[in-house]
Amino acid sequence: MTNSAWIELRDVAKAYGHQVVLESASLTVRRGEFVAAVGRSGSGKSTLLRLIGGLESADSGFVRVAGTDLNALSEAARALRRRQELGFVFQFFNLIPTLTVGENVELPLALNDVTAQAARRRSRELLGELGLGDSADRFPEELSGGEQQRVAIARAVVHEPKLVLADEPTGNLDAETASQVLELLRHSCRERQATLVVATHSVEVAAQADRMISIRAGRIRDEAP
Amino acid sequence: MSRLLHWASLRFYLQHPWQLGIAIAGIGLGVGVYVGVQLANDSAARAFDLSAALVRGQTSHRLLPIGANLDETVYRDVIIEHGIATAAPVIEAVVGIASRTDLRVPLLGIDPLQERGIRSYSGFAPARGGGDLGRLMAEPGTVLLPRALAAELGADPGTHLTLRIEGRDVDVTVLGTIPSLGADIAAEPPVLADIATAQELLGLGGRLSRIDLRLTEQQAQRLAGALMPGAILVPVDRQGGAFTELAAAFRTNLTALGLLALVVGTFLIYGTMSFAILQRRTTLGVLRAIGVSRGELIGSVLVEAFAVALAATVLGLAFGHWLAIGLVELVLRTIGDLYFSAAVIAAKPSPWIYAEGAALGMGATLLAAAKPALDAARASPALVLRRAALERGARRGARWATLAAIVLLALSGLILALGPNELYIAFGGLFAVLAAGALLTPAATVLLMRGIDRALGRRLGLPAVLAIRGVSASLSRTGVATAALAVAIATVNGVGLMITSFRTSLGDWLDTSLTADLYVSFDSAGNTRADPALLRAIEGIEGVAGLSLTRTVLVPTANGEIAVRAVRPGPRGWGLELVDGQPEAAFTALAEGRGVLASERLMFARTMKLGDALTLPTPSGLRQLPIVGAFRDFNTGNYSVVLALERYQREWNDFGITGIGVDLTDSADSAIAEQALRDTLAGRTAARVRSSSGIERLSLEVFDRTFKITEVLRVLAAVVAFLGVLSALLAIELERAHELGVLRALGFSPRGLAATLLTQTGLLGVAAGLMAIPLGTALAALLVHVINRRSFGWSMSFVVTAEPLLAGLALAVAAALLAGVYPAWRASRVELAAALREE
Repeated sequence: MTNSAWIELRDVAKAYGHQVVLESASLTVRRGEFVAAVGRSGSGKSTLLRLIGGLESADSGFVRVAGTDLNALSEAARALRRRQELGFVFQFFNLIPTLTVGENVELPLALNDVTAQAARRRSRELLGELGLGDSADRFPEELSGGEQQRVAIARAVVHEPKLVLADEPTGNLDAETASQVLELLRHSCRERQATLVVATHSVEVAAQADRMISIRAGRIRDEAP
Repeated sequence: MSRLLHWASLRFYLQHPWQLGIAIAGIGLGVGVYVGVQLANDSAARAFDLSAALVRGQTSHRLLPIGANLDETVYRDVIIEHGIATAAPVIEAVVGIASRTDLRVPLLGIDPLQERGIRSYSGFAPARGGGDLGRLMAEPGTVLLPRALAAELGADPGTHLTLRIEGRDVDVTVLGTIPSLGADIAAEPPVLADIATAQELLGLGGRLSRIDLRLTEQQAQRLAGALMPGAILVPVDRQGGAFTELAAAFRTNLTALGLLALVVGTFLIYGTMSFAILQRRTTLGVLRAIGVSRGELIGSVLVEAFAVALAATVLGLAFGHWLAIGLVELVLRTIGDLYFSAAVIAAKPSPWIYAEGAALGMGATLLAAAKPALDAARASPALVLRRAALERGARRGARWATLAAIVLLALSGLILALGPNELYIAFGGLFAVLAAGALLTPAATVLLMRGIDRALGRRLGLPAVLAIRGVSASLSRTGVATAALAVAIATVNGVGLMITSFRTSLGDWLDTSLTADLYVSFDSAGNTRADPALLRAIEGIEGVAGLSLTRTVLVPTANGEIAVRAVRPGPRGWGLELVDGQPEAAFTALAEGRGVLASERLMFARTMKLGDALTLPTPSGLRQLPIVGAFRDFNTGNYSVVLALERYQREWNDFGITGIGVDLTDSADSAIAEQALRDTLAGRTAARVRSSSGIERLSLEVFDRTFKITEVLRVLAAVVAFLGVLSALLAIELERAHELGVLRALGFSPRGLAATLLTQTGLLGVAAGLMAIPLGTALAALLVHVINRRSFGWSMSFVVTAEPLLAGLALAVAAALLAGVYPAWRASRVELAAALREE
């Protein structure tokens, strides 16, 4: 592995039934880089994220993250990688409704066997940093959309992952909140030297990335930032 | 529009076949169990009624002996002095077959010439062999055998058969066989003999068991006013009251159990229909938004329910039909064990039961679907319900349900305490308590989960917290399933505790009653006297400490036929446990012949109290004997009273005995003494020797057999509840697919996710199992103190042991875990990409 290719996709193809989403797609992402993937709906942005996250496998080609070929890993090994090295941010937040805000943030730590006390302390600190210190004991449905997305970001970075994947993280927010959330996400990742890959429709979001790629006709192209 | 709605419904079920399957299975099982039980009940009842009618014929009255049997002169007086032509003398006894010592068959001695006016014995015409009723008269020592018995014994017409009567072997000639009467009755007919032959066989020269009569009202009044020594005129419908009441109560209990299965099945259909609506709430909201009216939506859901009900009911009726074949055997055997000595074979049940089952199945389904249909109609066109709002609604519903449960409990308490003393009222109360338990379950589940969460949640880790909170968070799905499981397990617990209580009480009662070590019983048809030489010989056996003597006769009274047990107690006393009255005073009065002890069944059934006078007919007129105490009695035959033997002999002038109790010394070897007793009795008289332990064992065997049917029904109720949980869990798994996908994305391994879900279903089982403990105990208390009391007049100790309750808890957890395995497996294999795409 070199610093210049921390994430590497080579000739990746992915189809759902007859619908080809990616075809001979290749991409390299450096460690700590912020990459925005843009494209029309159904172009394959989310698929790209799921392939990098190991949520699904490529039909052909290979996907390497930190030198590991994800296709060669078992489901249990991929789950372990997600647990330790990955943070996810979704468009619709996807907080667990039965856990409090604090517990949602603690969840990745608990999965990584961090003691309950340490996890609680860490989550409270982080929520405080994100301006949600008072909301730790509330349930997600009691928060606004912007607040929920901030909790989702906290959950994505609390265990210091090397890679954060965000699928339309601002797609469900108003412009002002979206801007705040994106800044928070960028800041959180940069602080932790985490690589950030964002799939987005938003030109404003893409404009803030280190690099912008687009997906068209199943192929990945670099775009001018 | 409605056509499109129906198509949409149909496609929904085609996409979720398990949901359709579980709904059909649930209601089908409920209908099946109800119909099966009713068919078995009806078949058994008709068999008994028909067999009774077969023997009774057109008999309106009977002249019964006061004491052992009637003098034949009474018959002559009826015919000649009272001018009644429609009178038939009868000898009835039970006899043994020498070649088959395990077989005892009823023997009926009749006068063929007199039978025509009383009952049509055309059906008894010999099936083969050319014999007829006339030949029975002309050829002494001949009998007609039931066809099945003849086949079993290989007794062809013309062959000899050796009967064993009172220890004697007597040869008879088989004239032919008797077929069953009609197509729909297979009640086993008796061995038929001419009256003279029967008298000779039984050693009852000049005596009769009874005289059957067909009387007009005037004739009956005239005959009742006439003085006939040693006889009493009784209308036939007054006879066998105790049997009729007990058998009816037994059948009512079974019907209630069948209904219970249907109630649990209704829960299931309610749950399934609710899930089906909830899952489509977005679609329904959209439909409302585009202009579908509330009425159209309600109609669509009800049509859907109707279609499900139709399929389920048809399958349920078929299942019930199949189930009845097995159940009827159990019912008949139980009624035969408890109330009848002769074997009876099933009769064809009424076809109306199928219609009744179909109506109940359809009705229950439509009723269960009504609320989901209304919920569907209420779906706001502007706002599709969010899951969180839905769950908040479910929690609000749980609070209302708790209030309703409290009101229901208070009402049922009032009805049971102050309402009429009827069995159906008691069952109403019992069902109300069960319904209250079901209504309380969702709120109790929420409280329990909150408690566990606070006490242990964080210590167990977040996956466990997820599981704990998942139970309460899915209340709209888990509430009904947990309630159904709680009711089913409470039924298992309640019936289990009742059986434990009953068995314990029965065991205690047998220990109290069976004071002697060995019992000698004589055939009741005989007139065995307490031969002093025989008694001396028995007393002389090594190890014998003393004897008790019993004479049991059936006495017709205004309270129906009562078994009068005249007793001379042995060294260990009367063997009676008093449930009412002062023991010392009561036993003194009894011993001195100043009163009788009545069984508590008689006291309860005839609302009698201590001090009431019981009027008993004796050969020298009516005697009024005060009731000085009530004793516990688990006998299932006639109501009984106990009287001192000396007083009985004085009043009835009857010195026969039907039983001897033999008390052994502590040091005696019971096996040696039993053999010596058999040797002493051999060749002297017809007697059966049984040890008290043998009687106890046999009694408990009959008891266990009686409750076998409840086991079948309990298992079926548990299966229905299991299906309910499975249905709920599958619905949850389907609904939470997205959330489960997120958990997987966060790093939950498939196994970890499955474990979390199984913990959740296990907790659901724990909640249901814990709820079933107080509910089952309350149910058992009602069964013991109210239902059994009102059904059978038995009082029993209420024994609560941890074992059946813990077994119930384990069953609930096991059923929930088992039901959770498949949904957990499916959830762990959720396709991540698809689950996350479902945003």
